[in-house]
Amino acid sequence: MEISITFGYHTVFDCEVDRVMSMLSELLKNLFKKRATVLYPEEKDKVHVPEGYRGKLEFYREKCIGCTLCYQVCPSYTIEIITDEKGKRPVFNLARCTYCGQCEDICPTKSIHLTKQFEIISLDKKDLVVK
Amino acid sequence: MSTFDIPIGPQHPALPEPLLLKLEVEGESVVGVDFDVSYMHRGIEKLLETKTYFQGLPLVERICGICNAAHGLCYTLNVEKLYDKEIPSRAQYLRVVVEELSRIHSHLLWLGVAAFEIGFNTMFMYTWRDREHVMDMLEAITGNRVTTEYSQIGGVRRDISPELAEKLLKTMDVVEERTKYYIKVALTEPTIAKRTQGVGYLSPEDAKATCSVGPVIRASGIKFDVRADDPYAAHDEIPFNVITYDSCDVFGRIIVRAQELLECVNMIRYALKNLPSGPFRIKLPMKPNAGEALTRVEAPRGELLHYTLCEGTPKPYRYKVRTPTLANLGALRAMLTSKGRYVVNIGDVPIIYGSIDPCICCTARVQFIDVKKGKAWTWTLDEIRNMSKKVKA
Amino acid sequence: MSLESYLIEMLKVLVFPGFIFIFILALFYEWFDRKFYAKLQNRVGPLYAGPFGILQPLADLIKLLSKEDIVPKGVDRMLFTAAPLFSLTLSIFATLLLPIFSYKGILSFEGDLVITVVLLTFLCIITFFAGIASYNRFAIIGAERSFLQLIGYEIPLMISVVSVALNAHSLSIQNIVLSQKNMWYILGPNILGFIVFLFAAQAELERIPFDLPEAEQEIIAGWNIDYSGRRLAMFRLAKNIELVFLCGLAATLFLGGPLGPVVPGYEAIFFTIYFIIKSIFVLAILTIVRALFARLRIDQIVSFSWKYLLPLAIIQFLIVRLIV
Repeated sequence: MEISITFGYHTVFDCEVDRVMSMLSELLKNLFKKRATVLYPEEKDKVHVPEGYRGKLEFYREKCIGCTLCYQVCPSYTIEIITDEKGKRPVFNLARCTYCGQCEDICPTKSIHLTKQFEIISLDKKDLVVK
Repeated sequence: MSTFDIPIGPQHPALPEPLLLKLEVEGESVVGVDFDVSYMHRGIEKLLETKTYFQGLPLVERICGICNAAHGLCYTLNVEKLYDKEIPSRAQYLRVVVEELSRIHSHLLWLGVAAFEIGFNTMFMYTWRDREHVMDMLEAITGNRVTTEYSQIGGVRRDISPELAEKLLKTMDVVEERTKYYIKVALTEPTIAKRTQGVGYLSPEDAKATCSVGPVIRASGIKFDVRADDPYAAHDEIPFNVITYDSCDVFGRIIVRAQELLECVNMIRYALKNLPSGPFRIKLPMKPNAGEALTRVEAPRGELLHYTLCEGTPKPYRYKVRTPTLANLGALRAMLTSKGRYVVNIGDVPIIYGSIDPCICCTARVQFIDVKKGKAWTWTLDEIRNMSKKVKA
Repeated sequence: MSLESYLIEMLKVLVFPGFIFIFILALFYEWFDRKFYAKLQNRVGPLYAGPFGILQPLADLIKLLSKEDIVPKGVDRMLFTAAPLFSLTLSIFATLLLPIFSYKGILSFEGDLVITVVLLTFLCIITFFAGIASYNRFAIIGAERSFLQLIGYEIPLMISVVSVALNAHSLSIQNIVLSQKNMWYILGPNILGFIVFLFAAQAELERIPFDLPEAEQEIIAGWNIDYSGRRLAMFRLAKNIELVFLCGLAATLFLGGPLGPVVPGYEAIFFTIYFIIKSIFVLAILTIVRALFARLRIDQIVSFSWKYLLPLAIIQFLIVRLIV
């Protein structure tokens, strides 16, 4: 639809109403839609975490063979190799971890697993060390 | 009429990253421009020399948060050139899927930012809302929203299951529908047209002369796309059109990016339908062969270039990154200078600056530091030229 | 004047429909504007302060008032202090002219329509001085832009107001309201004038697509860049009161003001409710306009005003002239 007003050859006023409508109809549609925002701390159940998410790290001591491959691929020096009664093993300092998941990929015995847990904040540094 | 300087940046609401634009202003029109990008130095290239090629990948992905998939892909392709091993074609196809997904997210993000720069907050909210679908898919495929690290040396991180592929195809339908709507809005909405048509003019000659890349040069009507000119990964097998537009202005850049979204959607569909079977990753040794490698990748912002020199050790001797923003800065100067009938208004500066999709933090990487004197400085081009003359002599 | 009537007058000015009522209304309108804007954009908007975030504007105001008072070096101290005060005073004064609870406002005299238009111009001039006072590059550009904008929208605004006055054969708001007893002007011949008035009001309030004097992406905060703490709070409150004033004025001139079916004896309550409903309707339109467009450039605003608003206003004037 176009509104235009002309005097003789001079167009004093013209306005294409359709051009505004494409946005206006979308605006009014959204007025009745449910909000897109997820109010995160209140609606924790609405946060969808997919399978295979790279979150907080878990370590299974019984599977570990102490090959130190994870230590070699870790880009951010998260992993420290110590020796306990069963031999060499890694200790993870999550405060440094970038959650790249390279240690999980390279581990030959699947003793490292990145879980879906993404709330990792702690007030104590010691809580962030995975043993 | 006297002129006065207006500094835009390094801290400014329109600029997410530190850049100083010194505008010489006469009334409301800009008559001269000078800029300084050296506010952000992260030492990533130096840091890469201290890490093995396998440790370097997560770091490379962090050069840029938005085109991380392109950086990761470029890095892995580059390092694989040192090995002389055939990479399984399933991995190459999956790499393309994730690369194009991240291009969709980057272009949608840019559309939102461009709308924000011209004060169109509603469009900004809508595009970023719809981008969430893509981010969710990236998270489901790779395990993370932003630093995907999907492409690994020797293949990809994980395979894509048929259910996930089905879900991805469904998401692509949503993205396609929304993209068509945004193209319609961009073409018809009166205020967008007013703010972008004839703004940020870059003639094809200037675009060539300033070596601009990506959507900026394509919006000036020049067919230049690394995916078509120098195919990598599976791009030689997946058909697509190089989108160009000949309006040479910000409007053209919006249209080019929006239509590229549709191309991306089609490429992902094709790749998923024709996904070859076979392994998705091969194991490669820690030590590559000695040699040099150089790879170009079409990042969402334009041509991305990685170079490495390897001496047969697990760690690179030198790693060099040239990001698309650096290539586009010359074009930015041409766009921001008024000449003849083409006048740049102060109000146009944010959208012109935004139209190259700048990522300053990926760009500046050279700074000289004298530890003893506690001084830091950068070199201009002339100083580097003089230095090279001295070295030659 | 007896003590009783004196007290009643005082209460009218200070409580209802004077300062306190206007203050509450201003904060409510800001909340409505933000919430509705968010709803259009599929967001949540203010949420945590009070039910549905209704106390958020008040919380913002209190936060600003409790902040450190900073006067930057090199500003014109007197003007810098006076501008927020003037802005607040003038906008509150303007709202006293609005007919909220009866056919006339607290202040009512023949020719008060002229005063309202003059006050709108004064508010813009104060914006200009506020920008000039802070001697900042961005502030000066913002101030300059606010004046350029004034050149654009002022004349169409006046013509659209004048055509209403012409229709009512009076320059007093009371008579304009009374003359709409049978038919609101928006339903009659003044629909074009209403559209012109809305766009001009949007420009006066510096909202998208006319928010150039304080365009965030271009000149940061424009004319109010150096204002912080309680001065900024005063400016914001003044802006909100101006929003109430302009929505109320549009409702008065075109939508019949406080008129509507009433139960005899309770006129004041009914009139107030009708006034609020009508002005919120205007506010909703203003908010949709804010969400619908991108920001225009300064040359485009001036040409838009002269090419579209002014012809519309003149046509409106001619229509009214032919009918009356």
